[in-house]
Amino acid sequence: MDLRKLKKLIDLVQESGIAELEVTENDEKVRIVRGGGPQREVYVSAPPVMPAPAALPAAPAAAPAPAPAAEPELPKGHVVKSPMVGTFYRAPSPGAKPFVEVGDAVKVGQTLCIIEAMKLLNEIECDKDGVIKAILIENGQPVEYGEPLFVIE
Amino acid sequence: MNLGDAELEAGLQALAAQGVAIRRAGDLFVLADPVDLLDAAALEADLRARGSALSAEVLDQCASTNARLLEAPFVHGRVLACELQTAGRGRRGNGWHARLGASLTFSMAWRIALPPQALGGLTLAVAVACARALEALGFGDVRLKWPNDLMRNGAKLGGILVEVARSAGDRTELVIGVGLNVRADAALQAQVGRPLADLHTGDGTPPSRTALLAGLLRELESALQRYEREGFAAFFKNEWLRRHAYQDRRVRMAVNERESVEGWARDVAEDGALVLQTETGLHRFHAGEVSLREAA
Repeated sequence: MDLRKLKKLIDLVQESGIAELEVTENDEKVRIVRGGGPQREVYVSAPPVMPAPAALPAAPAAAPAPAPAAEPELPKGHVVKSPMVGTFYRAPSPGAKPFVEVGDAVKVGQTLCIIEAMKLLNEIECDKDGVIKAILIENGQPVEYGEPLFVIE
Repeated sequence: MNLGDAELEAGLQALAAQGVAIRRAGDLFVLADPVDLLDAAALEADLRARGSALSAEVLDQCASTNARLLEAPFVHGRVLACELQTAGRGRRGNGWHARLGASLTFSMAWRIALPPQALGGLTLAVAVACARALEALGFGDVRLKWPNDLMRNGAKLGGILVEVARSAGDRTELVIGVGLNVRADAALQAQVGRPLADLHTGDGTPPSRTALLAGLLRELESALQRYEREGFAAFFKNEWLRRHAYQDRRVRMAVNERESVEGWARDVAEDGALVLQTETGLHRFHAGEVSLREAA
């Protein structure tokens, strides 16, 4: 994979609000993880890098919706959206294995994540067979109603 | 009943493991405390007498009544109570401790004609319903902690966990779980590792667990119908604030494992969010752990 291509992928992640993207091409594998915090740092390549701790939010819930100001460019595929305002969790409990990772094959009915608001738990189920192409939100981050969560191909 | 010594011994040990203290007096075995079991027939009679849409079942033991209802085919109005819940679910995997007769745990399957995004205040409305039921039974001092705890004398009396079983269009199938400490003795408090509130301490005559469940179901059913019509605003919001344990007190909101915010608990929004006043103004929170800071 050439550098220009890589740069393009990084730009894509930065602009789109994608939290994590994994691309496999022949034998090469590139994983781009966006860090927390306002700078949207981007980490490239294999060893999973801890995202930088997010700056203390003065008002996490009051922050303007990270809604598409300039239509984010989502990877092509089926988009799973949040049915409610809440917090996005990738695992059933803190420290547990995430329900799904990028690259996982998923089936209709399979749990993808939990959205929690006011201790009402909503397990979001997969509504299309396919492979997880992108996970658009970081674990523990607030999501808005209708916000894209996953892209399935 | 004829039991061999070994069987008797095994039975006694099983009961001891469930927290039933048995004293031996010569050839007699005496319960140290009466064990207050649920009376399914009396419960059913109460539901039918008031024309309730609910139907109740009592299990001896199960891992989690919420999980059980989530796994089973959905039946609107089905209530599952359990004498001994061995793996109750608190919020996101926090365990719920239960001992035979010491607590009341039950779940209710309920279909509501609202989409998930309209259910932000539902946990709080359920908490209000529980507090009203307890007040009717003589426990007017129950307070609410955002978003899903019932408090008494500054300690946790119970908790609520609402899970979405399924949603389609403007209908949502819910499983609403409630757990209450009825009698939290020293051993149970030691097991949990922090003080617990119960209904056997302080003012008020403890009701039977059956009467308690019947009272809770009555309030819950009417609250859910009311929520469907009116939402959280007005009635539930005012009732919640009136019973808010930390109203106008300084609290810390742990947003996640690393971040927290401090402020004064001022209000709840119409979507159930807690409104804190911080140095930068009023802010809404939809998730997090609230703890009391020393009053300044």
